Amino acid sequence: MTSLKLFAWLTLLFPLAGCVTIALLGRRLPGRGAGYVGTGALVLSFAAAVATLLALLDQGHDHQQVVAVAYDYASSAGVDAELSLLIDPLSVFMILVVSGVSMLIHAYSISYMGSDRGYVRFFAYLNFFVFSMLLLVLAGNFLVLIIGWAFVGAASYLLISYWYRRTTATGAGIKAFVINVLGDVALVLGTFFIFAHVGTLDLLATFEQAREEFAPGDADLTAGVILLVVGAAAKSAQIPLHTWLADAMEGPTPVSALIHAATMVTAGVYLIARMHPLFELAPTAADVAAIIGVLTLLVAGTIAIAVTDLKRVIAYSTMSQIGYMIMGVSAGAYAAGLFHLMTHAFFKALLFMAAGSVIAAMAGQQNLDRMGGFRRAMPFTFGCMVIGGLALAAVPPFSGFFSKDEILLLMGDRGGWYWILYVAGYVGAFITGIYTFRMIFRAFCGEPVPEARALEEGHLHHAEVHTNPASGEVEDTDVGFPGPEHHIAEREPAMKLAMGVLALLAIVGGLVQIPKLTHVIDSFLEPTFEESALYHRELSDGLIGFGLVLGAVVGIAGVAVAYLIWVKNPDIATRMRAGLAPLHRLFVNKWYFDELIDALVTRPALWFGAWAQQTFERVFVNGLLVGGTTGVVRAGSSAVRAAQTGFLRYYALLIVVGMVALSLYFLLNA
Amino acid sequence: MTLHLSIMLWLPLALGVLGLLAPPRLAGRLALVGSGLALAYAITYVVDFDSAAPGLQYVTDETWIGELGISYKLGIDGLNLLLVALTGILWFASTLWANLQDRTHAADRPRLFYFHMALAETAVLGALLAQDLALFVVFFDLMLVPFFFLTGMWGRARRVQATMKLVIYTLVGSLLMLTAAIATGVLAAQGDPALSFAFSDLAQRPLAESSQQWIFLFFAAAFLVKMPAFPLHGWMPDAYRSMPLPVLAVFSGVLSKVAAYGFLRVTLPLFPAASEQFQMLLLLIALASILYGSAMAFTTTEARLILGYSSVAQLGFITLGIFALNAQGAQGAILQAFNHGLVVAPAFFIVALLAARAGGSQDIRDMGGVGMRAPVLASLFLIVAFATLAIPGSSNFVGEFYILLGVFTEKIVIALVAAAGVIMAAFYTLRLFITSVHNRTGARVESRELTLREGLVLVPLVLLIVAIALYPQFGLKRSEATVTAVTAPVATRLAERPGRGLTQYAPLAETARPKAQTR
Repeated sequence: MTSLKLFAWLTLLFPLAGCVTIALLGRRLPGRGAGYVGTGALVLSFAAAVATLLALLDQGHDHQQVVAVAYDYASSAGVDAELSLLIDPLSVFMILVVSGVSMLIHAYSISYMGSDRGYVRFFAYLNFFVFSMLLLVLAGNFLVLIIGWAFVGAASYLLISYWYRRTTATGAGIKAFVINVLGDVALVLGTFFIFAHVGTLDLLATFEQAREEFAPGDADLTAGVILLVVGAAAKSAQIPLHTWLADAMEGPTPVSALIHAATMVTAGVYLIARMHPLFELAPTAADVAAIIGVLTLLVAGTIAIAVTDLKRVIAYSTMSQIGYMIMGVSAGAYAAGLFHLMTHAFFKALLFMAAGSVIAAMAGQQNLDRMGGFRRAMPFTFGCMVIGGLALAAVPPFSGFFSKDEILLLMGDRGGWYWILYVAGYVGAFITGIYTFRMIFRAFCGEPVPEARALEEGHLHHAEVHTNPASGEVEDTDVGFPGPEHHIAEREPAMKLAMGVLALLAIVGGLVQIPKLTHVIDSFLEPTFEESALYHRELSDGLIGFGLVLGAVVGIAGVAVAYLIWVKNPDIATRMRAGLAPLHRLFVNKWYFDELIDALVTRPALWFGAWAQQTFERVFVNGLLVGGTTGVVRAGSSAVRAAQTGFLRYYALLIVVGMVALSLYFLLNA
Repeated sequence: MTLHLSIMLWLPLALGVLGLLAPPRLAGRLALVGSGLALAYAITYVVDFDSAAPGLQYVTDETWIGELGISYKLGIDGLNLLLVALTGILWFASTLWANLQDRTHAADRPRLFYFHMALAETAVLGALLAQDLALFVVFFDLMLVPFFFLTGMWGRARRVQATMKLVIYTLVGSLLMLTAAIATGVLAAQGDPALSFAFSDLAQRPLAESSQQWIFLFFAAAFLVKMPAFPLHGWMPDAYRSMPLPVLAVFSGVLSKVAAYGFLRVTLPLFPAASEQFQMLLLLIALASILYGSAMAFTTTEARLILGYSSVAQLGFITLGIFALNAQGAQGAILQAFNHGLVVAPAFFIVALLAARAGGSQDIRDMGGVGMRAPVLASLFLIVAFATLAIPGSSNFVGEFYILLGVFTEKIVIALVAAAGVIMAAFYTLRLFITSVHNRTGARVESRELTLREGLVLVPLVLLIVAIALYPQFGLKRSEATVTAVTAPVATRLAERPGRGLTQYAPLAETARPKAQTR
């Protein structure tokens, strides 16, 4: 085994080892031991990822796609399913982002989850989550990819329902899981469509065969790729399979950070980038994905303006940003989409960590309406939130500015109907600025709320009675979670460290790829996308210049509007809410997607189940089919009582008589 | 140790009979020794098995009733190897469970109880090992006898009705099968003086298509009742409610698989024309079982029945794989039969433990919240639940993957609809898990951790699930050669039929498979 393969396996196996260790021994470890073991596993994993990167760069340009096979996992009857990894620039890029950001989130959690009774379980799940995502991005064939894909769903379920005494949390968990299984199934069926033609599950072999087997626009391939898009939409929370994401805020805040930044919702973006040879052969499917992306980015943006739950605002902003990425990679902006994936991972993890700190200061309260004036009480958190917010709102020179603009530049460059995407992207960017700074201004500016005032005097607020912020239900306190104590960044070095590093990355992360100046990501990823014509487009200088100026103006304008409405002149907000009541209702109710799915899917399924249960089973199965025999049952009851003495004899006799009679019949006829 | 199949076959019964004569206290121990030895034999076969050989291994062939052409012929090949292993594992686990929990059932007439358990194991092993149609039928029918007594004498609520339904349903099936079996032997011997029921002889003497049709339907009815498949599952709810737990674990884990195995062993090789002709019918029955079983599983609130109906759905998948009539589908079906048995038995044990903690109630509305004080039990249940819903990464997923792939290349629409069953499985399994382990503690729930005795049975089973999940190839490679040989004739027939599912299926040629650069 070359050192490259070894490092890749190690990257994958450290979190798994961490998970198993914590699960088996975690309770024996003193204090926060489980947290340190979990974080340590991630540090090792990240180190191995860096080593993988170095080993890959040593390989030379033409040898940067390496397959590492462990053993035959399930190969038979013409199916070739090995346990294999594909190590190439794309997967190495992903493992660096995933393990790096996850490592910081683990470090943050050591303190943040400190007083929770489920501490050990939490870190076991967290390590498993990272392992699953690493398996997903390293998978060398469809089957392993699907395994990683499903494990990510399972891990997210476990963490969303982490506080499982809350029925809101278990409900959110099962919702996320079922939608994710829908995605898994779509992925499996999509794989079938492709496998039926190319006859292999290996990714590289599939791409090679596909170029020979499929004419562009082939119907089977298009069907298969659309199913892959369904899978991507389910995992990446794209319309109409997005409804689980906001409910997933039931999980602890570090989990939200992990889901949104590193280990889950980016999987769909990765999938499309990974499958780009197939998407390019099925342009209709790619367009479908791009349209889903642009719809999501607009719809999610409008919802984010209206919701009042701090974490949900950030959740909808994620949906919207993932919409950008999906749109980008579907339309051929591969490097740009992945670049945005990376910068988004930095600033989104940062925003969630800062939000977690605020929520801790509010003793678990998440409602923006109750917050305000934390600026002086929590300067560090405020600073981080602003940095994350500016990066999200794409204000230059923060990282989000460069990555978002690059996606939109490529949309503009492709022309035709992609101009709709181009324009919609800037509209979305404007909305982004508004909702981001609405959230920040409402939480940190204005009159300090009692909690903020107390904190200024050095007292961290603690709730008398713990209630579930989602339902108001009084918590089951004997269980010990959520933990009775709260932890804010200002007082916890581990949290401060994680947020500080991310803040730095959110500021400078965009500098690696500045149009005309730096091309780090472009040239690093090139071997993966070598055969793609879309990858090698040259952009005109005019478009670049115009795009950069427009992007900066739109981002700053969004922030300015937010300032105007929520700081300068707060009654504008009230008046707008009254004046645009129907629109506000639509946004607050999240465009009624939950109600729609409930009416179209959930209710009919339950209705069918109830009908089967109450009518069909009783009337048909038990009535008609057994009906004839129920009489026999009654008559036979006495026989059964007799059976305990000698039914065996009768039964044996019956068999023998029957056998003899029939034998005779056939022997005579023979 | 001599590898003689008769020893494995009759050992459990022999020790069961010995138990009848021994003091009641020892009966359970003797039965345990019997099932333990059978398990040891089964493991030896699995290890010693030659995966490359498609034909029978370890054959025993004696004339039994010469005049009727019935022989005592036993053998192992890729079709039954895994199921023999499953039988060994589950019977040992259930007998051990009964031994460790002897407060409950076995205290009441233990010698008889263990005798019937042992008889049942011998009958099941006989049906699996038999290589003669008449012998197969005898053992298949013999299976009913011990379960009749085990349910009728040690069952709970409404056991009389449960037993009667079970008997009536299966007896009808058995009689149909008996008729069909005799007809097969006799019709096949037409023009040939020597009557023979050996599978190898019957396969050489194909029946006329018209005879194949009704004979196939008779066999199918018997197997579908035993599974049970929709709409012949009427006996299942009552039987599952009242069977004592160790009995239920083996019944649900193994007996239904014997029926599925019957399709592969009897109907596919002997009636290829009819199998092809009725393919659609069987696929539709399987599909209906999946959808109906799933719909029932997510509305019922009785924990045992959730598992019962989920088994209906799972057996639907297995039937689907068999009637894909190609190697992939059959490979998936065999692997899935093994997986499902391995998963459903611990699931029933766990549900029983949860019911015991919920004041004896089987209703999931009375359960809840044991996870906090019983983390080990909760973790084991979590693994079992994920395996039950066939999460990718479990061996159950590999089984379903092969089944659906087999159907997909054959009848694409059926595969697409059947996939809905996978999503429903996720819902009803998690619902069971959440309502019993998560949420607030139920009013009458006492959360107790798993005891050592319970863990002794459960932990090894769960470890086995994890092990096979890491290496499903273990099963696939052992069944591949036989499955390919068995499905080849009927697959060829299908290939000649015009207008098949997807445009074309490109079988994987080793040469056509480009290797990655640096491999």
